[in-house]
Amino acid sequence: MNLAFLALCILWLALIAYAVLGGADFGAGIWDLFAVGARRRYQRQLINQAIGPVWEANHVWLIFLIVGLFTVFPSAFASLSIALFIPLTIALLGIVLRGAAFIFRTYELDASSRSAEVWSRIFSTTSLITPFFLGASAAAVASGQLAASNGTATTDLGAVWFSPFAITIGLMAVALCATLAAVYLTEEANSYNEPDLANVYRTRALIAGAITAVLGALGLLQSPFAAPQLWNGMVTRVLPLVVVIITMLIGLTTAVLLYRRRYGLARVVIILEVAFLLGSWGLSQYPYLIPPRVTIANSANDPSMILALLISIAIGMAILLPSLYYLFSIFKLPYPVPGKTAESEALPSETSGQGPGV
Amino acid sequence: MSNLLAARAQMGTSLAFHIIFSALGVGLPLLLCIAEGLALKYKDPNWMLLTRRWAKAAAILFAIGAVSGTILSFELGLLWPTYTKFAGAVVGLPFALEGFAFFIEAIFLGLYLYGWDRLSPRAHWLCSFPIWISGLASAWFIVSANSWMNTPAGFIIKNGKVTNINPLQAMFNPATPYETIHMMLSCYVATGFAVAAVYAFSMLRGKRTDYHWKALRLAMAVGAIAIPLQIISGDANARFLATAQPYKLAAMEGVFHTASGVPLSIGGWADPNSGKVYYAIEIPYGLSILAKGDPHATIKGLDAYPREDWPIVEATHLSFDGMVGAGFFALLIGLLFWFFAWRKKRAWQEHRWMLIGILLAGPLSFLAIELGWMVTEFGRQPWVIVGFLRTANAVTTAPSLNISFSVFSLVYILLAFALVRLLLRLARSPFPPIKLPWSSTPYQAEIATGTATERAGIE
Repeated sequence: MNLAFLALCILWLALIAYAVLGGADFGAGIWDLFAVGARRRYQRQLINQAIGPVWEANHVWLIFLIVGLFTVFPSAFASLSIALFIPLTIALLGIVLRGAAFIFRTYELDASSRSAEVWSRIFSTTSLITPFFLGASAAAVASGQLAASNGTATTDLGAVWFSPFAITIGLMAVALCATLAAVYLTEEANSYNEPDLANVYRTRALIAGAITAVLGALGLLQSPFAAPQLWNGMVTRVLPLVVVIITMLIGLTTAVLLYRRRYGLARVVIILEVAFLLGSWGLSQYPYLIPPRVTIANSANDPSMILALLISIAIGMAILLPSLYYLFSIFKLPYPVPGKTAESEALPSETSGQGPGV
Repeated sequence: MSNLLAARAQMGTSLAFHIIFSALGVGLPLLLCIAEGLALKYKDPNWMLLTRRWAKAAAILFAIGAVSGTILSFELGLLWPTYTKFAGAVVGLPFALEGFAFFIEAIFLGLYLYGWDRLSPRAHWLCSFPIWISGLASAWFIVSANSWMNTPAGFIIKNGKVTNINPLQAMFNPATPYETIHMMLSCYVATGFAVAAVYAFSMLRGKRTDYHWKALRLAMAVGAIAIPLQIISGDANARFLATAQPYKLAAMEGVFHTASGVPLSIGGWADPNSGKVYYAIEIPYGLSILAKGDPHATIKGLDAYPREDWPIVEATHLSFDGMVGAGFFALLIGLLFWFFAWRKKRAWQEHRWMLIGILLAGPLSFLAIELGWMVTEFGRQPWVIVGFLRTANAVTTAPSLNISFSVFSLVYILLAFALVRLLLRLARSPFPPIKLPWSSTPYQAEIATGTATERAGIE
């Protein structure tokens, strides 16, 4: 039980990592859709530059989450796979098309060609669709209405994952991804000495953040009847309630920081915001994995397996985290590390559609 | 189409697609590492050009490998929830470890592909090591899980429940050393011969520069070192199957009746209804010698097993013979090429027929991977976890899987089409100037890539 809880906490951290890293990649794709006007190619270049080196690594958090879930909670994983077959399949198609379209457009020889344009459209559309269905799936789990009365999972045809509550949360996930990406892109544009571009994304981050907050409030208002168990878990216990309130305060702080153009700090705070948001979901739902029946205790795998996994995670992380730090220090952080050469200050030329390392 | 058939078709298509990219994902980083190392050591612009070219191709191939691999990790649950419930409980560990290996690979790939200007030359080259090492580790972990499906270990069933789980025993199950080594070697064989085939094609079209010659020789070296080892490993696999999974060996070789002094049937159609192999070339005592080292040894035939437990004999036998045929062809090509090198007959190495042979060995090596994978999958049927879970009982209850199958098939066709188009255009594109670490001026290669008309079209 304690081992399973520990493993769940690690999985939850992986979920947060996927949300703040992979979520921002989705968001960048969403902004790609809005890249219009004379500076469109320039905006796209910034997006390519920002997510190119890291998107594959960011994406692996999802894989980690899946294999972790099915190793620690095999029966819960099986139930979710059956119940959420449709939204997860759609999200999967989105993930696949998005990754492929991104790489195809990056390596298209002529960035202005028609096929590059088509790939860009696919990339941005799927970036919009995927977080929606992932968010709706999460809402379906939280609503506590997935499991059939006899306990065996059946495929939900939309009554749960396409309910008003799930739609609200799905849209909120989209808005949150857009906010994340916009906040990162302000800082990214700033690092290339592009204050105008940073301003564009600052405005967008504020708008998307406001939409996220409104949708979040709508979701919260629906919770008492759409996700009663979650609601009760939240309002009757101190810790979840405190975390929810902190989440709201952090959201406001992000807006203030953006408004005052403290982009670097805003980037840190928006990450905290996502962590607290997902944390409040987890705490409110505790000890249920899939309310109202599947708990941590009744779906946890054999302790020997969980222990083996935890040990491997410890060893794996000892290699992984320094590597990840190295990756981000080379491309995203201003600090010197061994092997790093002087930074290139300007965005690559607008006409280069050949991708990196030509 | 029944749900079971649709699920199997979707899983099969997904694996057949992904396995190409995973093999290249294991093989190409080694080529990159060697080529870049040689470039830095000898300050040779051609090696550097090759590294750059291959890195670009690798970026595209790896991305497709990453997304097609994601499909698989989802599909395990979406299509086979009962399997995942069972397998996750016992053999989740290698899946999780594979996740870590993939993670390391993705991190250093990002550094490698985007770090040409941001990393020192030496640091850049060093970044290629974690890529090929973790690629190899990924292959090992994933195939150990497949081995477990063939020879399940590390648990017991008590009152219908899986208990006494030993994760390490599950990962190091009896088939693991045989299957994993065979798969890892196959990646180097296929990548080596496939890359060699690309440059053999260029040379056949008259582009016989130092650049092409270096690429051809490096790729042929990797392929030719791996292929004899692969054939030894294949032989070890067959001997292992003779005792661990005799029904699989029987299906591979088309042995229907248990007997001593069994001949080796090459090719032909193994018909499970009549229990005969039609149109095969028979080598007397061949199988007994190969599998047991004794011409009179007894080989278990499929008649030792109930009919409902037989693998898909026709497909297993044909796939197996196809794989072996392709493998021996690659061996022959590799031996000839380096025999000519040893006799210092470069003209023969570059001879038209030699190059045509290499051109054929490339796609045939990939065919061998596909067929080898089919041998292990068809040969394991009707089980998904041998002796414990039948494929038919593992499939999801979700409705309308044929829609899902059709959509995913369309996606694969789209991806394959776009990928081939992009790679061909990449191969024909002129070399842009590159920065050489040992020189301050950009280097412009004067190597013709496309034909004169194609170049005119691009410029």
